[in-house]
Amino acid sequence: MRNFDAERRGFLKASVLAGVSVYLAPLGSPAFAALFEERLLTPLAWNGADGTAKFRIDGLAKATGAKIFARDIRARDMPHWPQQQGHAFVLRTTKADRAYQGFDLSALGDELKPDRVVTAEDIARDGLAFPKFYGEDMLLPRGKTAAYLGHAVAILIYRDFARFRFAKNKLRLREDTIRYGEITGPIARDPWSTFRFVRVGGETPYADDIYSSLKDMPIFPAGYRKHDPVWPEANAKGKLEQAGMDHAAHIGAELDWPPAEWFVHEREYATQSIDTSAFEADNANGWYDAANRALHLVVPAQSPHEVLDSAGEMLAKAAMKIDKLFLHPCSTVGFGSKIRSNFPFYGIVAALYGDGRPVRLANDRYEHFQTSLKRHAFRMRYRIAVDRKSGLLQSFQGTFEANGGGRCNLTPAVLKAAAAEAQSIYYFPKSDLAAVAIASHAIDAGSARGFGGLQSMAATDMAMDAIAAELGLDPIEFRLRNVLQGGMKNAQGAIPTDAMRAGEVLEKARVHPLWMRRAERKKEYEATRPGWRYGVGFGCAQKSFGTGAQSAFARVEIAPDGRIALWHVGTEIGTGMSTSQAVVCARRLGRPADAANFSVTDWTDLPMVSSGDAHALNEADSDRAATNPRWTPLYCSPSDASNSAYYYSHATDAAARLIFEHGLWPAALALWGGGRASRPSLRSEDARWVDGKLSCAGMRPLALAELAKKAHAQGGVTGTVVHVFNRWQWAESEWDIAGQRVRAPIDGLALRYGAGAPAAKKAMMKTPNGFHLLERRAVEYPPAQRNNPIVTRYSAIGTLVEVAVEIASGKVELLAHHSIMECGVPIVPQLVSGQLQGGLAMGIGHALHEYLPLYEDGPGNGSWNFNRYRLPRASDVAVWTQTAEILPPLSANDAPKGIAEVVMIPIVAALVNGIAHATGHRFSELPVTPEKIRGVLA
Amino acid sequence: MRSLSLTVNGRKVGPIDVPDGLMMIDFLHEYLGLTGSRLCCGLGLCHACTLILDTAEGSQEVRTCITGAHFFDGKAVRTVEGHAQCNAKGDVTAPSLVQQAFLEHYSFQCGYCTPGFVNAATVLVERLKKQPVAKAKVEETISAALEPHLCRCTGYVRYYEAVKALVLSTPGLTSNDV
Repeated sequence: MRNFDAERRGFLKASVLAGVSVYLAPLGSPAFAALFEERLLTPLAWNGADGTAKFRIDGLAKATGAKIFARDIRARDMPHWPQQQGHAFVLRTTKADRAYQGFDLSALGDELKPDRVVTAEDIARDGLAFPKFYGEDMLLPRGKTAAYLGHAVAILIYRDFARFRFAKNKLRLREDTIRYGEITGPIARDPWSTFRFVRVGGETPYADDIYSSLKDMPIFPAGYRKHDPVWPEANAKGKLEQAGMDHAAHIGAELDWPPAEWFVHEREYATQSIDTSAFEADNANGWYDAANRALHLVVPAQSPHEVLDSAGEMLAKAAMKIDKLFLHPCSTVGFGSKIRSNFPFYGIVAALYGDGRPVRLANDRYEHFQTSLKRHAFRMRYRIAVDRKSGLLQSFQGTFEANGGGRCNLTPAVLKAAAAEAQSIYYFPKSDLAAVAIASHAIDAGSARGFGGLQSMAATDMAMDAIAAELGLDPIEFRLRNVLQGGMKNAQGAIPTDAMRAGEVLEKARVHPLWMRRAERKKEYEATRPGWRYGVGFGCAQKSFGTGAQSAFARVEIAPDGRIALWHVGTEIGTGMSTSQAVVCARRLGRPADAANFSVTDWTDLPMVSSGDAHALNEADSDRAATNPRWTPLYCSPSDASNSAYYYSHATDAAARLIFEHGLWPAALALWGGGRASRPSLRSEDARWVDGKLSCAGMRPLALAELAKKAHAQGGVTGTVVHVFNRWQWAESEWDIAGQRVRAPIDGLALRYGAGAPAAKKAMMKTPNGFHLLERRAVEYPPAQRNNPIVTRYSAIGTLVEVAVEIASGKVELLAHHSIMECGVPIVPQLVSGQLQGGLAMGIGHALHEYLPLYEDGPGNGSWNFNRYRLPRASDVAVWTQTAEILPPLSANDAPKGIAEVVMIPIVAALVNGIAHATGHRFSELPVTPEKIRGVLA
Repeated sequence: MRSLSLTVNGRKVGPIDVPDGLMMIDFLHEYLGLTGSRLCCGLGLCHACTLILDTAEGSQEVRTCITGAHFFDGKAVRTVEGHAQCNAKGDVTAPSLVQQAFLEHYSFQCGYCTPGFVNAATVLVERLKKQPVAKAKVEETISAALEPHLCRCTGYVRYYEAVKALVLSTPGLTSNDV
């Protein structure tokens, strides 16, 4: 153990980051077997007749309580680690308005005294600090005021479990552990992010814009004065941003003095901070092997590669000599909160001071509430104008203030999404959407399912009901008049890529019995249940999937016996992507992957490089960089932004397709008779997999094993590694494969050939796993200007709810709900429906139950848990009475669409609108609690 | 520190010296390496940590995050790791009927709460074997049995549907009474 030799154990070096070599435990190694999918992911039970998966690839492990989460792993589960597991916890400030002056552990006595205490002084001495993205003061130095409630000040490490446990229990909720000095007030800072989308459309929704973010530019402030943004001066003849501000000024003036035929809806909407409440709380388990200058880390992360990258950056500056970093990512759950979480870096620090022992740092629920990334609270002021006669929306002015908390995480991206998506499913001829994310002393907010769109689109759909009521229109009819149609532009001036199907959703909702019978049913219900009010509400939304810069790696191989293996960069976060990606292989290869590996960070077979921020690249820099055939705008994307169904699947499909076209199809032609004169003209696009066999134009069906054997014998393509990139359009590139110039929607490629390949071809298979790294002959990246429109790809959903409100208590009873959703062609329908049901529950929680105060009485004080934070239970979600329908795809080859986030949005507005139908009061501040309802019914 | 002996998943464990005041979940995780019973809230509110306590009267769920390890001295318990049939190497050869139902219905997503639901549904099925319920009352019976269990991912529907299908398809768990 002391002489642990990475290579002898079979680890592969994945890359070198900032001077630290990064390793991943590969298939077959003892460490891999202890942790990863080799044992945890069972072969997919596949129904070849109808092409469906019988259950999740990770299902058996999860149903039987196997060690599948990072949280389950202890030192004894790691064969090459010392077996004695150390444990640690973090001391945190609970006040952020006064100077921190140290801590007092006397309550622990001698018996529970920690074996090691790590403070800011220690890490400063040893050159340890957060990677740049995560800001300053990983541990707060004495004399400084905390940047946020719950700021970490020290890590307490124990060599054994029992003393750790009792010490942690003893210090919980004690207010005398942390010492404070003078009151300074919270730290005041400029906002984390500020920008503005202004658009003035042409004469029709289809005409060229007069001004828009896509055509012209988003507008950024010139600076800040007393922490408020200073916008560029309005000047119609000035620079682009000044012209944009001139348009904004006109939009504002027009809403101040609207034409007589306009109605202007003006209202402030507010939505709260919540905890995503991922049940696996943040944790890390690490071992610093000083003798071998190696650090080993087991972590949950939605973006393992980002952890690797940032850990490399952190360790390169450390006084501890670390040449090697071994990362073991695991399946997890985060709902966004484990993207760019800083927790793994605290785990690294704990391990580095473990005195040779592995150290486990695992939050309990109180700690998770105190430190995990939160959903941004927003205050939004909407002014929306509508023509009273036509019922057509005319103008939208929105200001958005998000509370980013005390550290900037993904706040700029969330803010951008909120403003960009505020228009929801509607067309506005002109809009001015100004957004600012303030810095505060709240816990830092970051990525959370819904990602800004939840906050803004729910408010928009509350506004739509209010406007329809003012106009005396049926709320769904009003929506239909204004729904964004194909070819119309969004608020950034971009024309959405796919067919716009929100109108179909609205049409179906309009004729649903819940909606059609709502007046009649209200009478009946209230007559038979005195003391209760009945209401039906509707909400609709369409949300982007992807971020405007998405990339992925995938590797697919087919063995001579036809067994398919898949490696993918994506991480399983509960959504079932490991199952769906295995299933994606079936489209080209006739059946799903037999073995699949996820969270893969070792892509040495395809050594792509990236530089700069993919969202901020300009055209010239992109073109220059792309002359390097290994360059890509983005190395890989985390599992986020509902990206697996469309973006991850594209990588898997592209890899499988190349095997089909350059391995299996030539094999099929050979098996069907090669150049015989009688052979009909066969085209690969006419081939079909039927019951696991390949058939084409009446030729003999060929089993996959037969095809694979032939492909190997012919030396055809039997393995592929691809890299793909999307900026609302796939990058395409050209490659020389078997003497042909091939164009494919990828930007990186390595191939493996079968055993029958000529020696010269085999000699090119030089990568660590025996692939031929191909030279990119040409590449076409989507224009960098596409960064400006922010969003062009959507999936839509509408939800109807039926509620009863008890007048005396204000309690809301959700009687039933029905959702109508589009998702392209679902890969695994059960997973799609599961995402819908789960998202609806989360939306119900957001609308009615979940709430966190931002500041001193909020979770930063360490006293929050599920006794104070109300998660929806089964009785809250209409578990037996909810229904759903999915719009049939427009064609059999519609791409699958990401829906994991949008599903939670419409029900938020639907509930508020339903409560308005029941009570007559339109709430605009979430959550709508019984107390608030009692307040208006009193 | 006191000596603790009990039966876990049919296997005798102990005597082991265990500190007074240590919760059962810590004993399972840190002393036995059985991490399938998940720590989630630590307050007994979410039920992700439940195990099954077997007594002469039948099986019952117990929350291990708020129950001391020594409470189980001399008792027999089942954790989620003990339901499936396994081979000599410890690999699962056949999941329990409840686990199989959850698999077929795609009941879970992240799976963190699944052990608690497995145990709750198992206790329910074992109770119904002794006290069948009228078919018309299956849904409310399931609701009452599973309501204490929190899930963040699924919206509960596929857990409930799986248990309903299992109860209705297993002979002897329901009656035709109204």
